[in-house]
Amino acid sequence: MANTSDVIIIGGGIIGAATGYYLAKAGLKVRLFERGYLCSGSTGRCIGGVRQQFTSESSIKLMMRSVELFSEMGRELGTEVHWHPGGYLFLAHDESKKRAFLSNIAVQQSAGLKDVRWVDAAEVRELFSLVETRGLLGGSYCPSDGQAYPFAVVGGYAGKIRELGGSVHAFTEVAGILQEGGRAKGIKTAAGQEHYSNIVINCAGPWARDVGRLGGIEVPVEPERHEALITEGVEYLGMPMLVDYRTDGGYFQQFRHNGQFIGCYTPQPNVPGTSSESTYGFLREMPRRMLKLVPALGEVKVIRQWAGSYEMTPDGNPIVDRTGLGGLYVVAGMCGHGFMLGPAVGEAAAEFIRTGSRGGLLADFALERAFSSREAMK
Amino acid sequence: MAKDLIICRCEDVTEAEVLQAIEQGAATADEVKRLTRAGMGHCQGRTCRRLINQMLARQLGQNVSDQRTVTQRPPLQPVSLKVLAESES
Ligand SMILES: Cc1cc2nc3c(=O)[nH]c(=O)nc-3n(C[C@H](O)[C@H](O)[C@H](O)COP(=O)(O)OP(=O)(O)OC[C@H]3O[C@@H](n4cnc5c(N)ncnc54)[C@H](O)[C@@H]3O)c2cc1C
Ligand code: FES
Repeated sequence: MANTSDVIIIGGGIIGAATGYYLAKAGLKVRLFERGYLCSGSTGRCIGGVRQQFTSESSIKLMMRSVELFSEMGRELGTEVHWHPGGYLFLAHDESKKRAFLSNIAVQQSAGLKDVRWVDAAEVRELFSLVETRGLLGGSYCPSDGQAYPFAVVGGYAGKIRELGGSVHAFTEVAGILQEGGRAKGIKTAAGQEHYSNIVINCAGPWARDVGRLGGIEVPVEPERHEALITEGVEYLGMPMLVDYRTDGGYFQQFRHNGQFIGCYTPQPNVPGTSSESTYGFLREMPRRMLKLVPALGEVKVIRQWAGSYEMTPDGNPIVDRTGLGGLYVVAGMCGHGFMLGPAVGEAAAEFIRTGSRGGLLADFALERAFSSREAMK
Repeated sequence: MAKDLIICRCEDVTEAEVLQAIEQGAATADEVKRLTRAGMGHCQGRTCRRLINQMLARQLGQNVSDQRTVTQRPPLQPVSLKVLAESES
């Protein structure tokens, strides 16, 4: 039937695109639906950071796999995705942060992440002379962490889905999940078109709860607004992503491919909802925080600000699972790390959906779980 | 037509690249922007957007007056980090 495929994916961000790609690569006919343009959700609003420095073994291993996939991605997708291992440096300005980082480093190393290490302030100065080291004890540094360009990654996956015989439907909202005998059997678009498939995957990111409800399933994902800004491109200065966890800190990096600085911070208190409104407060505050860490950037000009959503679960870990409705799956709730997790989560999710085998990497990501422990390096 | 014609001067995007994005399925200036970076540069699309809309119209038979407008984001002019950091609330 013309409107039948092996898999229907709802959501054209990194998670839908990566999951769709790995399913298509395994020979399944994939149809992906996105209500806006590709990347119109969180993925096109993220700052493109990719790191392996997490606190739980499963996240560390998953991210090590993602870094492997990012580094091969240009060749695999036949397109430039601007992967660059520029590193991540988490800054410690007090003893308790330092202790926490040291114990994280031990966990990360025993999980196999060999190049992560503690660098003291003098070494930070030596490696990255532009970073302000007054009041700095040092940091947790992993040179194999890096960056990639979200639009290129998603565009690359989408192109491959089409090449492998699937289709990508932008500006097509899914308004209903078709059911028969307690199973999902397809979707209905807002324009009233029906598409049939025995596998429907909710990859709706911050909207995963709404999409879950179309199938009568509760998905515990809460959106939170995060603002960001980007500067004009200037000469590449070779600094890593800087992460400052203090309440007046933030995260920012410079893209190597075009020299733009891009950054954001976590607002206190957090701002629930999927609003993409940006504020003057952020436009003033983010530059202060950036200049506190790298004073030399004063003349660099901001050209754009925006906002997007983190998609939080109660314990800070994603959800990758089947649901109470047969044939309906959920791959969502990446908790602000979806871009970096995308390749490895997409690969593992595709494997799970095809074979039913969860493998070790998805062990912590069941839909029904206690949601008690928390990922600390958020 | 000269395929290496620059459509977006800020981001060095050529006509051929915009055409390729349209072939890949981009049907709006917003999508062309996401695929090629045309419109993401220093001038934030003030120079290239009309050209891109005209290309979309030509390639896809769109009527320019029906095309979606592109989301405009602040600040309206580039402002240095220092000036922003020192600005009053
Ligand atoms: C400011 C900011 C900075 C960030 N920085 C980073 C970073 O450096 N590194 C990192 O890894 N992560 C970062 N993130 C987080 C990252 O952006 C997200 O975790 C990730 O993009 C989630 O991907 P996704 O595919 O699950 O969701 P999305 O990209 O939001 O995709 C879901 C899609 O589903 C679509 N959709 C929803 N409902 C429907 C429907 N009914 N029918 C059809 N389509 C529908 C939406 O339009 C959307 O495009 C950042 C986020 C923000 C906001
Ligand atoms: S000419 Fe395209 S952004 Fe300036």
